[in-house]
Amino acid sequence: MDPVNVAVIVKMEPDFSEGNVSYNPDGTLNRAETKNILGPHSAIAVNAAFYAKIKHGAKISICTMGPPVAESMLQHSQLMSDADELYLYSDRIFAGADTLATAEVLKSGILKMQGKMDIVFSGHRASDGETGQTGPQTAWKLGMTFLGNVIDYEIDPESRTIRVKRLVRLQGIYDVVEEVEAPLPVFIAIDPSYKPKFNTVSQRLAYEKYQKEARQRSQDFKQYLKVLNAAQIEADPKLIGISGSPTIVYKVERIPKGKATRQAEIIDGSDQEQIRRIVAKMRQSLSTMVIK
Amino acid sequence: MEKYDVAIIGGGSAGLAALKRLSTLGKQAVLFEAGEKIGSKNISGGILYSKKPKNGKTHNVEDIYENFLTDRPYERKITKYVLHATSKDKIFSIDLTAAHEYEANFGCSVLMSKLNQWFLQQAQETAEKQGGGVVSGVHVKDIRWEEGQTIVQTNELEEVAAKAIIAADGVNSEIAYMTGARQKFSPNQLYQGVKVVVKLPEEIMNERFSIGEDEGAAHLFAGDVTMDHIGGGFLYTNRDTLSVGAVYHLDSLLETPVEPYELVNTLLRNPMISDLIRDEVPVRGEIDKNLAKEEQMRIRFAVTKIIKTWTEMREAYYSKGERERLVREGKYSAPEEMEAQLSSIRDQMSTKYGMKFETDYVEAEYSAKLVPDGKRCRMEKPYFKNILFAGDAAGRGIFVGPRIEGLNVGIDDAVRAADAVARALDKNNFDENYLGQYYSQSVEESPYTHDLKSIDKDYLKIFLDAAKDVPKDIINSKYGMVVKMMSSKTLRNFAVGFANILGYEKILPIIETVETYVRVPTELAERLGKSVSSSYTPTIPSIAQRVAKLKFNDDSVSHIKVLKPTSEFMKKMTVLCPTRCYLMEKNGVMIQHEGCVECGTCAEETEWSHPRGEKGINYQFG
Ligand SMILES: Cc1cc2nc3c(=O)[nH]c(=O)nc-3n(C[C@H](O)[C@H](O)[C@H](O)COP(=O)(O)OP(=O)(O)OC[C@H]3O[C@@H](n4cnc5c(N)ncnc54)[C@H](O)[C@@H]3O)c2cc1C
Ligand code: SF4
Repeated sequence: MDPVNVAVIVKMEPDFSEGNVSYNPDGTLNRAETKNILGPHSAIAVNAAFYAKIKHGAKISICTMGPPVAESMLQHSQLMSDADELYLYSDRIFAGADTLATAEVLKSGILKMQGKMDIVFSGHRASDGETGQTGPQTAWKLGMTFLGNVIDYEIDPESRTIRVKRLVRLQGIYDVVEEVEAPLPVFIAIDPSYKPKFNTVSQRLAYEKYQKEARQRSQDFKQYLKVLNAAQIEADPKLIGISGSPTIVYKVERIPKGKATRQAEIIDGSDQEQIRRIVAKMRQSLSTMVIK
Repeated sequence: MEKYDVAIIGGGSAGLAALKRLSTLGKQAVLFEAGEKIGSKNISGGILYSKKPKNGKTHNVEDIYENFLTDRPYERKITKYVLHATSKDKIFSIDLTAAHEYEANFGCSVLMSKLNQWFLQQAQETAEKQGGGVVSGVHVKDIRWEEGQTIVQTNELEEVAAKAIIAADGVNSEIAYMTGARQKFSPNQLYQGVKVVVKLPEEIMNERFSIGEDEGAAHLFAGDVTMDHIGGGFLYTNRDTLSVGAVYHLDSLLETPVEPYELVNTLLRNPMISDLIRDEVPVRGEIDKNLAKEEQMRIRFAVTKIIKTWTEMREAYYSKGERERLVREGKYSAPEEMEAQLSSIRDQMSTKYGMKFETDYVEAEYSAKLVPDGKRCRMEKPYFKNILFAGDAAGRGIFVGPRIEGLNVGIDDAVRAADAVARALDKNNFDENYLGQYYSQSVEESPYTHDLKSIDKDYLKIFLDAAKDVPKDIINSKYGMVVKMMSSKTLRNFAVGFANILGYEKILPIIETVETYVRVPTELAERLGKSVSSSYTPTIPSIAQRVAKLKFNDDSVSHIKVLKPTSEFMKKMTVLCPTRCYLMEKNGVMIQHEGCVECGTCAEETEWSHPRGEKGINYQFG
């Protein structure tokens, strides 16, 4: 049985927590002064990868595209996940990349990683003006099955399949859980509500063990870090940086789950008849739903 | 279901010693601890002893943890041990250092949160090598036997099977209640301990207590500070904190209930103690109300920050180790630079923020727990099926004179339990008569069990010798004969022999009385004591303030259920709960579990369990 091989794409973001943000006099973000950290959504993706390590001893490779200072964020990711390899794709020609050009860099980088990836994780989106497109675009470029809004997953290393739970919206009802099975490899964009559950003693012991290893490793993280430029990952110059960016972001909206078509109806809880009616309605709408 | 060779329940000093020993013997063991992390639920007085008994051998802390004496995870070696009889401002002191040193390699002050963390570090690696380890934040809620397997059920994780279990889950052992291995301890078998940790910079402490860097002092108190209860007070020096506490027989507290914190407060207000704990404390100045709201806020914030900076820096400055470290690491060029900076911060505090410096004391943590009185409650058969009970769970606390021994006893038990389990694993035989009885026998042979059954005449003699100058007429007729004996050397020897013939059961009602703990010392102090005074009156926090300072992980569900809201016992809990969790309502007593420190005082008449994993009290000092 081959070991499970996972990669995570992460993003450095300004620290938006209180007291850490710095603004220019005109009210725009002062990027140079604001502390940079691992983005919160990326952190969840890192957590999700750590789960694979605890359950299956997976090998974890974490990568990002960014300036040299991003290495401290990779160090932090390693502390969180006991990552085996860290990759920083850094090159002046990456500057000005939009999501598509970023995806190209990440794709090239992932293809250069050791061994074939079984799962690539990404965050749901970034918090600093991103569109939630990098993940899906990277998946598309890698030719991997994309699974978004994943809140839980289990790998079967023998049959090389994965079962995931996704949070979806169905017939106007939010937060319906859909269960999907797919052959590996897959690309997973992890949902913000993902929380790894360690509910056996062996997982908890493995958790302790890997955490300790992670503390040691992240102390000399440079030993695990490779800083690569465009040539080293063999990225196509036409598809990266400004020249590979067909879009500019002018406005960001929440990642849509589709328009709400719900209509609220207020029920008087003390009225038996009203309650009965609403229960019947709930049954009716639930019966049309296919939930596994 | 996952299977492990041994499950250890409870990660106090006893459970951790069992884990260390088993792993060292090459056995696989998993330890379950309910607290969020190891050490978060454990408190002690406490002086940890290493013993050298005349007969037999104890397993001492430094035998189990080979780095104990070099790493020094303890606070200070106690080198001075004094008993004080109190009456108002009068104190009569008796030096009992000889009693403290009796049969001891050393006795050192400890804080459990730090010490248990260190124990964990020492045990973890070897445990992991054997495929075991520690899982914290996991509360064991049931054990059952099914098809030849022993199954451990927790609130948090999937069930596991184990071949043998070591229950080191403390004085309120749920494992003991649920299996029926023993009854809940009753109030006449228990002491209630309540403690506050007080801050005092290291070198100020050295000077005040006339102790060197690795020396320490223990002061014990009896007399009017007991508020007429059987028990007494203590003050131990830690490295840069003091432990001040009161330990009283629960029976005696139930008879004439008094708020546990009042018993501690009385100690703190005693002029001798007030004076020992005093420190320089910054007091915030008034903030000009006419300033803009934001400006007021900013000042308040800045003041908090500067107090913190000053306090931390002062603590470091008054610690030789810290001072040297900071200079070595280049933070300061020399100690003088620290001193200069410290005084400049101090100036800023008074000139810029209008702060004053007063003499007061600084309380860091309030805590409480029951202590088993092993003479009255030790489990004679500390096992049930393939479960072995160790430490407080088996009711093994020794009270001899003012000395409390629970930590060392628990470690010794744990080693014996671990050895018994290792032997059973080798033979794959976990029958009661192979495992349980073997352990029981080993515990029976422990010098500690001897101490729980009979009075050590040499030890008693030290006391009698120390008290030989006590005027005979102070002690009333009940002690007449004893006193007469005490005044003569030959008769002193005889008194000891006499005490042993009578044995503990007969002699306890004579010695453990209000007479011994209150009247005699009070009169001693009045007649022979020196007047002491304190230059200030300590500002003692209210119980609400103390609880507010503690860290809790709140659980919406209560871990305690009141069964008899109108019983006499429960009514007394409105007074005896150390954190005032019980309220008197129309229909009887009601609990507010949010402030519970899990001391166990109310366990007798409630459905009592520890909170679920990670929930409840989270001590920082212990
Ligand atoms: C005020 C005071 C002063 C004292 N002074 C001294 C002294 O000077 N010298 C001395 O030697 N002793 C002293 N003692 C006694 C000493 O502190 C105790 O004997 C000792 O701490 C007991 O250790 P233990 O490991 O047996 O139990 P504990 O330290 O109580 O540990 C039990 C552990 O089990 C865990 N647990 C309980 N139930 C479960 C469950 N169901 N699942 C998972 N985990 C669970 C608890 O969270 C806890 O961590 C004093 C005690 C007090 C209160
Ligand atoms: S509620 Fe009971 S166990 Fe909790 S602190 Fe009060 S007396 Fe102790």
